[in-house]
Amino acid sequence: MVSLRQAAVNQLRARVIRRHGRDSLPISINRRRIYILPTRFGFMLGAVLAAMLIAGLNYNSNLALAFAFLMSSMALVTMHHCNRNMLRLSVDATIEVDAFAGREARLEFDLRNGSSVDRRDIEVRCMNAAGMGSVAAGDSETIEVIAPVAKRGIARVSQFEMRTRYPFGWFYSWTYVQGSITIYVAPAPIGILSLPCGASQGAGSHSEARGDEDFSGLRVYQPGMPLKHMAWKVLARGGEPVVRSYSSLAAQPEWLDWSTLAGLDTEARLSQLCLWVLESDAAQRPYGLRLPGKELAPSGGAAHRYACLRALAAFGSDAS
Amino acid sequence: MISDRVSYEQLLGISICLALALAAHLSTLPLWVPAMVVACGLVRLRFARGGRGAPSRAVLITVAALAIPLLFFRFHTFNGLVAGTALLSVTAGLKLLETKSRRDIYIITLIIYFVSLAALLESTSFWLLSYLIGVCWLTTATLLRLTSSGAVPGWRRSLRYGGRVLAQALPLALLLWLLFPRFAAPLWQVPNDSQTAASGLSDTMSPGDITQLALSDEIAFRVRFDGASPPNGERYYRGPVLDVFDGRTWSRLPADRRAPPALKPQGPLYKYTVMMEPHQHRWIFMLDWPDRWNLPRARLNGTYTLLQPEPLSRPVDIVGASYTRVRSDGPLDSIMRKIDTKSAPGRDPRTTELARELSSAHPDAMEFVAAVLAMIREQPFFYTLTPPKLSDNSVDDFLFNTKRGFCGHYASAFVALARAAGIPARVVTGYSGGTLNPYGDYWIVRQSDAHAWAEVWIEGKGWVRVDPTAAVAPERVERGLSDAAVGAESLTGPWQQRTRWLAGLRLRFDAVKEIWRERILDFDQDSQRKLLEMLKIPEPDGQKLVMVLALGLTLVFIWLTWQVRRELAPRSKDVAARAYARLCAKLAAAGLPRLPHEGAEAYALRVARLRPDLAATVTQLCRQYSFLRYSAPSAAVTLGQFQAAVRAFKPRDSRAFSRT
Repeated sequence: MVSLRQAAVNQLRARVIRRHGRDSLPISINRRRIYILPTRFGFMLGAVLAAMLIAGLNYNSNLALAFAFLMSSMALVTMHHCNRNMLRLSVDATIEVDAFAGREARLEFDLRNGSSVDRRDIEVRCMNAAGMGSVAAGDSETIEVIAPVAKRGIARVSQFEMRTRYPFGWFYSWTYVQGSITIYVAPAPIGILSLPCGASQGAGSHSEARGDEDFSGLRVYQPGMPLKHMAWKVLARGGEPVVRSYSSLAAQPEWLDWSTLAGLDTEARLSQLCLWVLESDAAQRPYGLRLPGKELAPSGGAAHRYACLRALAAFGSDAS
Repeated sequence: MISDRVSYEQLLGISICLALALAAHLSTLPLWVPAMVVACGLVRLRFARGGRGAPSRAVLITVAALAIPLLFFRFHTFNGLVAGTALLSVTAGLKLLETKSRRDIYIITLIIYFVSLAALLESTSFWLLSYLIGVCWLTTATLLRLTSSGAVPGWRRSLRYGGRVLAQALPLALLLWLLFPRFAAPLWQVPNDSQTAASGLSDTMSPGDITQLALSDEIAFRVRFDGASPPNGERYYRGPVLDVFDGRTWSRLPADRRAPPALKPQGPLYKYTVMMEPHQHRWIFMLDWPDRWNLPRARLNGTYTLLQPEPLSRPVDIVGASYTRVRSDGPLDSIMRKIDTKSAPGRDPRTTELARELSSAHPDAMEFVAAVLAMIREQPFFYTLTPPKLSDNSVDDFLFNTKRGFCGHYASAFVALARAAGIPARVVTGYSGGTLNPYGDYWIVRQSDAHAWAEVWIEGKGWVRVDPTAAVAPERVERGLSDAAVGAESLTGPWQQRTRWLAGLRLRFDAVKEIWRERILDFDQDSQRKLLEMLKIPEPDGQKLVMVLALGLTLVFIWLTWQVRRELAPRSKDVAARAYARLCAKLAAAGLPRLPHEGAEAYALRVARLRPDLAATVTQLCRQYSFLRYSAPSAAVTLGQFQAAVRAFKPRDSRAFSRT
């Protein structure tokens, strides 16, 4: 029974893809793509309603019939409400997500409700995980789906499902959205080797050496640069946002090199590199990444960290 | 994900709903059933409060093993309304006890719905229906709180939401109720297990029986006459006829299968509808003497009582016609003559003596009757609701000692006298009089109108009605009971101390009840046919009914879809914004949709670049919009002008124009 149902669901999903093609996010959910079926509770209710109707007819009791019809009508109205709960809801998703292998990916879905009714208990399902949330009238809400990812690499989600059982759990309506989400699964940051040091200094002495004497000038602020080096005074005077740059940061880049880890297998090498990337980033030292066929020039900040992690995630796959 | 555990609050909510639904059954269920369900609820709630889960399986099995056989011993079956309801209630109680997850509560809600319906199956009460709809509303609101994840909506919100669903369901429910085909006969015989003792006339009469009825305010039936009502003193409604007397109690002949004698009508024919309340007996009270009726299975017995094959357990309307004056030329059946002249052996010697004296003085039967009535009128006989007790020779005691009695005493004494004189006579029970309800133009006949009178056989005339009560208390027959009972003996019913406005209010209330009964309770295939005729549908039948239903359902569904989705596209309250939205829609239709991030000015610029032919108009309109929306009111342009300009704007036409 379950497998039969699963087969039907798979067939439907395939048909949805054929019929609607890819969706460009954000998308407003129209009525043609919302499906609705009674839940198991709904089927039980249906059986009870049928029994109520037969009892009313058999006893020829107009009052009992009135009650039975009222209950049945409520069920039908509820069907409309369940369908409406998702109708014309605008959905967007964060299309690029970063994660580490063995942990979980946080997929974020933004629901925007432009109508004057609350949309309650909307469940988003993706990669065998689900997140749930409600969106008040005229408001928007982010629903987070936390999906475990086991393997390093680039995972692609081409379809996610939204469903709701609101209001009474008698019906559930659902829809498939063909939005593509790319999940960069970086290798798990595991390694036994310590951070390779530059020509002269280790990590400890390096941080000691950092000081005002090393101030080498101002650079235009880029997102991801450490805020504690922000030149607030310049900004307060009405100037451009700039950061102080220090000679040690600028001058002594570290190369995290694939070729130095010759004794390990591929995944272990990548894990080690990943750990180094994170450690360098935490220590706020500039670093570059050298992989076979790919090289990222030394830099710092969040954007650089992401670029490195993605390069590690993509290693060996077609997209790299 | 929804956490599947149930909380104390959820349990409390559903327990209250279950208790309220069971309260509708309190009068029929054995008391221990609701008590057991309440106990189960309390135990489970106590467990939940203490942070524990459901009681162990052993407890559950013990309770079930006790309760279900107990039910079976009580009813000997689970088929039938009361037994079935009791079983369902016990199940709900057990389910409540073992509730672990939401799914268990879902099942309880379904039981609540069905138990509510079961209470309505044999009910006719508007209030019960309203109450149970209320219960169902509350249950549904509880369900909403139960199924919600995250922030559970508050009670007010849940009730409001449930109320809205209920309100939207009403038109659909009304349509289904009006047009859903009804069965002419039930699918299977409904087991009749009503144990309620209905009050009303029984088929035996001992002196004093009717006195109890006299204090009852319950309605026995209502009568509506087509045209004029029969005059006072002719509105006798015939019930069981009692031929057999044992000296104290009058009873019916067992298994009377004789055909009724043919009658010749003497007066006008009265057509009327009797709206019977259920009384759990087979007879139907028709105006004396019934001529025709519309119940195909009902028959007149040998004494002209209309009998149904089954006891009357639900309200029935009978359309009938009667002659109040008839005669019969034929001779009296010899067996009947023997029965109807038989006195109780060895009883009432003084009555026999008196009858012999009177009959020798008045050998003609009619004269004899007149003499007896004159005697009752002239001697100090009293009409009372509190007659003294009578000895074994009840008729002697009444006629010669107490001289105080109710209609049953007079009828009994009269028939005993006539029989002693050799004149065939019998006691007829039924109702007489009634109250006219001017607000509904029909007669209300209450239990307090129950009456007993006599019939004597006169050769050449047939059975002639003689009402000896009329001789002692004519107003009893003329106006009804409460005027006849004198002085200190006034009736003590809750409504009987009547003031004028209270009586009027009561009649108005009954008129509403009558409409409820006629329009709602008795709605059937016939009413559906009339409804279709009102809709001007020729030759209505079941098929056309279903077609009209389908059409109606389509319309209601369209309405419902519109109604439910209406709130999805909120109309902006700002007129300018609405007009601007219209402008954008027009441009979008022409292939130039506004991008979500574009303001009015930027949009106008882009449109001007892509469609130079529209540039001037669109730029002006967008500027006007910005003015109206964001700057202080100015005389440059009014809202009305802007609206009109947007309405006149036709981007598609102008393109066609520019191409030609």
